[in-house]
Amino acid sequence: MKTLESNRTHNRRELFDQARNRAARAIEETTTDRMNQPGGERASHMRHGGRPSRGESAKALPAPPSAAIIALNRLGFGPRPGQIAEFNALGSTDAQRLQAWVDQQIDPAGIDDATCDTRLANAGYETLNKSLAQLWADHVASSPQWNVRIQPYYEIERATLLRAVWSKRQLLEVLADFWHNHFNVYGPDSWAAPVWSHWDRVVIRGNALGNFRTMLGQVAQHPAMLYYLDNYTSSNAGPNENWARELFELHTLGADHYMGVLRQNQVPTGPDGKPIAYVDDDVFEATRCFTGWTFDFDTGLFEYRGDWHDHFQKTVLGVSIYANQPALSDGNVVLDEVAFHPGTARHISTKLAHRLIGDDPDPAVIDAAAAVFEAEAAAPDQLAQVVRTIVLHPSFLTTWGDKVKRPLEVVASALRAADGRFSFSLAEDDTGTLLWRYDQAGQPLFAWRAPDGFPDHKDDWKSATPRVMTWRILNWLIDVRNHNDVHRLNVLGQTPTAARTSNELADFWINRILGRPMPPAERLEIVEFMAQGHNPDFDLPLDSDEDTRDRLRSMVGLILMSPSFLWR
Amino acid sequence: MTRPTRRGFVAGCSATIAGMAGARFPSLAFADPDVDINHEVLVVVFLRGGMDGLNMVVPISGADRSTYVDARPNIAVPLGGADSALPLNGQFGLHRAAQPLHELYQSGKVAVVNATGLDEASRSHFDSMEFIERGTPGVKTTGSGWLARHFISAENLPPEIIMPSVSVGNLQATSLLGDRNTINMSSPGSFNLQIGPWEWRDAQRVALRHMYAGDDTWLHASGLQALDAMDIVELNASGNYTPSNGAVYPSGSFGDGLQVIAQMTKLDLGLRVATMDIGGWDTHVSQGDDGVGYFAGLMATVSQGLAALYTDLDGSGDENYTDRLTMVVQSEFGRRLLENADRGTDHGHGNPMIVVSGNAIGGVHGSWPGLGPGQLFDDADLAVTTDFRRVLSEILIRRMGNHHLGYIFPGYESYQPLGIVSGTDIPPDYSAGGDGLFADDFESGDTGNWSAATP
Repeated sequence: MKTLESNRTHNRRELFDQARNRAARAIEETTTDRMNQPGGERASHMRHGGRPSRGESAKALPAPPSAAIIALNRLGFGPRPGQIAEFNALGSTDAQRLQAWVDQQIDPAGIDDATCDTRLANAGYETLNKSLAQLWADHVASSPQWNVRIQPYYEIERATLLRAVWSKRQLLEVLADFWHNHFNVYGPDSWAAPVWSHWDRVVIRGNALGNFRTMLGQVAQHPAMLYYLDNYTSSNAGPNENWARELFELHTLGADHYMGVLRQNQVPTGPDGKPIAYVDDDVFEATRCFTGWTFDFDTGLFEYRGDWHDHFQKTVLGVSIYANQPALSDGNVVLDEVAFHPGTARHISTKLAHRLIGDDPDPAVIDAAAAVFEAEAAAPDQLAQVVRTIVLHPSFLTTWGDKVKRPLEVVASALRAADGRFSFSLAEDDTGTLLWRYDQAGQPLFAWRAPDGFPDHKDDWKSATPRVMTWRILNWLIDVRNHNDVHRLNVLGQTPTAARTSNELADFWINRILGRPMPPAERLEIVEFMAQGHNPDFDLPLDSDEDTRDRLRSMVGLILMSPSFLWR
Repeated sequence: MTRPTRRGFVAGCSATIAGMAGARFPSLAFADPDVDINHEVLVVVFLRGGMDGLNMVVPISGADRSTYVDARPNIAVPLGGADSALPLNGQFGLHRAAQPLHELYQSGKVAVVNATGLDEASRSHFDSMEFIERGTPGVKTTGSGWLARHFISAENLPPEIIMPSVSVGNLQATSLLGDRNTINMSSPGSFNLQIGPWEWRDAQRVALRHMYAGDDTWLHASGLQALDAMDIVELNASGNYTPSNGAVYPSGSFGDGLQVIAQMTKLDLGLRVATMDIGGWDTHVSQGDDGVGYFAGLMATVSQGLAALYTDLDGSGDENYTDRLTMVVQSEFGRRLLENADRGTDHGHGNPMIVVSGNAIGGVHGSWPGLGPGQLFDDADLAVTTDFRRVLSEILIRRMGNHHLGYIFPGYESYQPLGIVSGTDIPPDYSAGGDGLFADDFESGDTGNWSAATP
């Protein structure tokens, strides 16, 4: 009892010490910056390059595993059986293997994905390849039943899981998830859902390894975004600033380059002579530039309404936009200015580094990625080059344990490692049950309401709900006794007949799920669970005893629930 | 169903622990049933998206009424008729849909604080929420939330406390960031591991705890926190819950969440803080004309929920929790005075905070900056005259008994009570680390007891 009390106090005291240090820093930052310069607190964020690490101080973390483990877990949804060996065959050093693998992955069209394609075809989806006009005609204009209206969303929700589990284009899947959240739209909305497959296929996936300015232009003209951030209604008579504000704050320069209600001429300029940050007046002026950018409710197609447009002169980020410019010109100038602003290069690079490396990346990674982002701003593969720069930075292979799998990554990686066989069709009940359980874990796909997308930082995912609710899914996945269910994890069918002792069973499944050994103390828990007080080198009656088979399933559940399975 | 007593709970734990060879519920083992761990309960409700406070607490007289109506020709809350604002005093009224809240106001249980907010000039949702919930305006990188720092510095927190805080929802509230004792859950009914092959569940749970106790990384700590939370909820709150006193919660996740808070409060496990969110307030478009429509629906949900929670906890004798209940409602900012062409409103600045408490000093508080020329923030929005930290600090000092403002709100050093809740005033401690408090044996690390750190 005494020990337990001490542990509890110990935790609190550590927290106190950490928090006190941070509080002292916060005061220092706030007071000195505020005293020294206008908008100083903003400037201090900029020096830090975005959101520095928060939460726990550096503590014991697991040693980084091999490049295969790191890459397959951070640039993908975990290894499928055999993929670690495939990765390791790509070179003789980890650096070589990583480079070769990344070069394959940033050219997804060059990867044969026949298995995934077959499964997509077998799932019976009907909307994945429809044009925007066709989606609108079939799912909006015909005033169909709700389940037909929302069908494209339902299909993409399932196809996304299917691809995470089966596609060999794993980096594309990770980046599609990244960009979906970067340009977040609430998918189940009645105006977004009918066009969701177009948004996913063309705008997000079509540009995930492409050019940022191109993607931004498509985002700005897509009915899903025009509706979500209200620009569809913005006119000279009634401007609506929602889109313009999030364009600056979330999509491009980021809040780290926001100076609030300072006036435009109070913002310092950078080496390029342009303001280093935006202010509210830039948001208001940009709002005017986008007046008249709407869509046709009969066709779903983008429409520019000149009669809604504010034709007079504007100033955005130091650029004068003269009165009476041609159609779309004002908005396109704004998109150019924000897409090519150095702040955007930093903002996007920082977010990508947080996703692909860790929550506290080496600042040199961000510097390097931002430089490539700017230098290759016109390149059709700009974003592929930025991603390549980040993941081939030496710190990629030396960083491990600064991220935790979120629910999507937990579920997808479990189904990959232990070969779950859901069809992900709309009709399959087991898929429906999986999604119902999955949604309770806190990351329902495309269903984050606010425009900032699901959080990425580990602090947001280490609380009890994501942990408990994903544990529940994992223990459900292995629980197939008395169920005529062929979609969850067939533990017994995949256990080799050569493995019959507790040690053998534990080691087979640890290797199968993690692709690497467990720390000895953690492994011992697995073995002892399986042995239940008996000699772990004795054969277990797996073939004759139902309880033993249940225990094996629970043991696999335990490996999936272990700390080792959660690190990224 | 009889309410489980604390003594019965602890005894039950002991039996269970004996049966499980001490492996399943170790964090509960040290609970001492003779210590009364119950104290004040603070419920923090965050309205996400920027609640339109000018349509919640509405000017109903004088020049500000004219200005308000002129600025909001379609969406102004009317005076007179079925949807008339409900008077709070001669100057302000509550939105009609907030009638349940108005009834509480009339019984003196509601303090309205006008024109609160950040001293930061940000119209960003996300920055503003970070500033408020971390308790450090201008700094969104602070590594813990203000409520987490309240717990770290509270001197009246006995070590026996089992459930100090609950964060209802899928993700833990940022205001509790860094608090490892928080139970984050959406619904107690499914917050367990009663799934998987039944005959191995207990053994699996033991092994799971051992694995997460096997190292001291942040991930291991988070796993133990989840296991502890699950133990507590499973043992105490797995049954159905029936609200008391005829309380009727609004349907939907907000009402469900408040009901979870009531349930957790009544467990007598020492609950001190609960957080709950409701989103949907970013009303750029079609928020509803003439006091009805979308915003009115949200307002009704919130008001019904707050009133239901108050009613549910407002029993007599042992069932009376409202004597130690304080609810505070806030949003990241208010909205612009002028309605936009889409009959909505854009991001603004100052906003009311609402305090509902058995110990409220009912009425309208705070300095009203006015809506006239020269009175608005940035010529557009209601100004901020009361720092949000002032409201929270008064609750911390007078109700929660924690005066370590310099630690909870670093850099804040201008606290004066507004008189929104009754309680004992303690001079605030503005030192950042609370060094006077934690100087001796706490720092040296040889105490095994949190309360021993109390001077």
